[in-house]
Amino acid sequence: MTTASMKGAYAATTILDEALAWAIALLLSISLVMVYSASVAYAEADAATQNKYFYLIRHVIFMVIGLAGGYVAFQIPTAFWQKYAGKIFLIGVVLLVLVLIPGIGRVVNGSRRWISLFVINLQPSELMKMATVLYAADYTVRKSHKLHSLKEGFLPMFIAMVVVAFLLLREPDFGALMVVMTIAMGILFLGGINMRIFSGLAVMALVAIVLLIISSPYRLKRVLGFMDPWDDPFGKGYQLSHSLIAIGRGEWFGVGLGASVEKLFYLPEAHTDFILAVIAEEFGFFGICVLIAIYAWIVRRAFHIGVESRKLERYYQALVAQGIGIWLGIQAFFNMGVNMGLLPTKGLTLPLMSFGGSAMLFNLMSMALLLRVDYENRRIMRGYKG
Amino acid sequence: MKVYQPAKRFVPPPPALRMSTGRVRFMLAAMGLLFAGLIGRAIYLQVAQQDFLVNQGDARFRRSLVLEANRGLITDRNGEPLAISTPVQTIWASPADMEPVPPAKLRELARLLEMSPEEVDSKLSDHKREFVYLKRQISPELATQVMALGIPGIAKQQEFRRFYPAGDIFAHIIGFTGVDGKGQEGAELAREKMLAGSNGRRVVVKDRRGHIIEDVGPVEPPRDGQTLMLAVDQRIQYLASRELKSAVESNKAKAGSVVVLDAHSGELLALANYPTYNPNNRQGVTTEMMRNRAVIDTFEPGSTMKPLSISVALEEGKANVHTVLDTHPYMIGPARIHDVTDSDRLDIEGIIKKSSNVGASKLALMVSPHDFWSYYDSLGFGRSPDTGFPGEASGRLRDWKTWRPIEQATMSFGYGVSVSLLQMARAYTIFTNHGEMMPVSLYRTGSPLPGKRVLPANVADEMRDVLIANSEPGGGAVGGRILGYSIGGKSGTARKLVGNSYVADKHRALFIGFAPGKAPKMIVAVMIDEPTAGKYYGGAVAAPVFANVAGGALRILNVQPDQPYNNTLLPATTPIPADF
Repeated sequence: MTTASMKGAYAATTILDEALAWAIALLLSISLVMVYSASVAYAEADAATQNKYFYLIRHVIFMVIGLAGGYVAFQIPTAFWQKYAGKIFLIGVVLLVLVLIPGIGRVVNGSRRWISLFVINLQPSELMKMATVLYAADYTVRKSHKLHSLKEGFLPMFIAMVVVAFLLLREPDFGALMVVMTIAMGILFLGGINMRIFSGLAVMALVAIVLLIISSPYRLKRVLGFMDPWDDPFGKGYQLSHSLIAIGRGEWFGVGLGASVEKLFYLPEAHTDFILAVIAEEFGFFGICVLIAIYAWIVRRAFHIGVESRKLERYYQALVAQGIGIWLGIQAFFNMGVNMGLLPTKGLTLPLMSFGGSAMLFNLMSMALLLRVDYENRRIMRGYKG
Repeated sequence: MKVYQPAKRFVPPPPALRMSTGRVRFMLAAMGLLFAGLIGRAIYLQVAQQDFLVNQGDARFRRSLVLEANRGLITDRNGEPLAISTPVQTIWASPADMEPVPPAKLRELARLLEMSPEEVDSKLSDHKREFVYLKRQISPELATQVMALGIPGIAKQQEFRRFYPAGDIFAHIIGFTGVDGKGQEGAELAREKMLAGSNGRRVVVKDRRGHIIEDVGPVEPPRDGQTLMLAVDQRIQYLASRELKSAVESNKAKAGSVVVLDAHSGELLALANYPTYNPNNRQGVTTEMMRNRAVIDTFEPGSTMKPLSISVALEEGKANVHTVLDTHPYMIGPARIHDVTDSDRLDIEGIIKKSSNVGASKLALMVSPHDFWSYYDSLGFGRSPDTGFPGEASGRLRDWKTWRPIEQATMSFGYGVSVSLLQMARAYTIFTNHGEMMPVSLYRTGSPLPGKRVLPANVADEMRDVLIANSEPGGGAVGGRILGYSIGGKSGTARKLVGNSYVADKHRALFIGFAPGKAPKMIVAVMIDEPTAGKYYGGAVAAPVFANVAGGALRILNVQPDQPYNNTLLPATTPIPADF
């Protein structure tokens, strides 16, 4: 018996894409350690928490909720998501409207992004990212024969996206908007949208982004702060300059787990948006490379699952898998780019790594969806009907 | 021939849905490029910016802390502590690292520091500053309470405060330190280097709230200052201060000084000035109180100079102790030299006992100006005494080439030459050391420093005996007699120069003597400036201070009495002779 056939036999009998599951588990393990490391000083010193495990405990709870959500998502056939994609998208839009209503939406750091649900704060923009994957994939498959047409193939999706963009900008959540747009455009592109329409759209999106940045002093300030954080390191450039210092201090192999100085009240949001800086300080360039490698590997895997689905003529599942890959990849890229001073500050988490309930839940559910697509692929290859 | 073609691997999608492999590959490549860009950026940061970023980090986290050295102890010759450094805390803040303090905490902080909340607030208002003193030198207990408030950015630092247990008694010898801990006066200034030691240094990484996280590099420990042992004896110093104070007060004098030297080693056993001040609390202290008069003030010593000037005539062989001189008043140019009570003829003992200006000047004029000058010069007049006291005076001894005979004559009885009391006391060591003059030492010396021969031993011993005789009935030093001990000494009453002329109502009363007579243990020099309570003669005003200080000191040092205990009983009718 050859090794290839052994591998085939093994692949046919297992439920999960084990390599992918282990990659996710690895990210979650790193996340547990690093969220604790990055938050311990804040948690211990803050009079409101007074417990060094404050953030770790919540992070574990979020992870358990996320894993439960993932488990549920994995049980649901992908056909269900396709069937209800439009409704889920609609729910997402409704929640985006609700979050804007004072009294329902909670304001943190100047942005109205959270809906309080007693135990957990829901961040509708996180749901919107998943809804966009599901909806854009469904839309592309449904309208596949019209994708060359501007009016019929492109316009409805464009309108939906403009609505979402408008709502996200009201919060404001520019980061989520960028992710949602990239997912939608990516799925349309992979689904075979006419290149001319796509190019036109890309140019329009670019122009829109530039206009948005210039039009808002808040965003312009952030952009300028990122261009040269050393111009005003104690004001606009404070957060980024400290993130860069953390990365610089980490050098090639880091100062060692727990030894970060930046996390000791210098770097704000050390356990959420800027967790990469802490990882870079404690594990150096090596730590950054390991993280990038894991994300890149998951993205490749998602695309591979997509290609497998397409071979089985499961086009919706193919686009969902690849959409999830784009989502994970682009958000990881944005977050790390922000941490390294390559991109302006956006307020995006590092997927499966940062502290944050909604992000963790929907990221884990999307991973479960990916595993589900793969699971169904295998069943079909073994002769089952989906 | 038709060739068999294997089925295409790719299953064609429905006509309209074109999910090309090319687009998937393009998309994957795009994502790969983004990640590669991140790695490129990470490499750039490490290669091109690492040093800059690490330096920026150090500028924010690293702080260099001074570990203050404990200033050395100052003790008397028996190890009694005279200056002690006690640990205190200083509260400082780094407004740059502070967030707005809640009003309740600010009020509490202000209450503990005994400041107004507005005052504290204004000190913390400049958010660019990283170091502001809030309150210096508070007790460790209070500092602990302040730190317990837990206000980020407020820190304490250990410092030392100098404490002088003897208060004003040693003020002029020891001096004091400033708020920066550096010596400002006295031995504190003279031996600054030795006492200060050297501060240590500790480079630490601090978190943003000011807590020390770790040391960077080895801690450079402070080197504490060394203990400085002074030559003074605390007990004698107390005695001298007390006697001086009471003499100045009872004689309604302006000021006064007492110097006590070890007769053999020249060590300074006591040095007191009045008025004095409390170095522990210098509020309201005037420069008058701070003057170390015995060391920095110079004056014309008057008759106390006579034993010294007469000695040089004996040394030069121009006369001997048995020489008898005609002591009628006489003229030098327009100036008439005369005594308070004229005598016909006096020998050397008589000249001292009667304090004869005529005799002293005639003897002085037997010596050439050059020899006379070099003798005074070898006694250290006009030269810094090199004791190490800050600001010590050299006095004034003019060049002999410019002398006229009248000047050499007046110098023999202590006018036209200015000296400090310390210099005079030192000059008298020639009578207690068989002609050798000892250097004055402010510090305890293990073995006596070498003296300098000024007179032959026989001449010095003869003059010593003349001075002892001077304390016997009929002499000018009877007021300095001590119960149980013989003494030798010479009183002096110098008119003070006001403007260009000597005035009759302003005097310095002086007495310089040694005890016990034949085997002296100490020299005590007393100067009372402007006694106004009636008496102003040195023999009446200064001599009792000598007697009390020398007598008490001899008993403190357990010196064997050499006289019966009724030796001070004098005939009540014996007048204390005037000596001008």
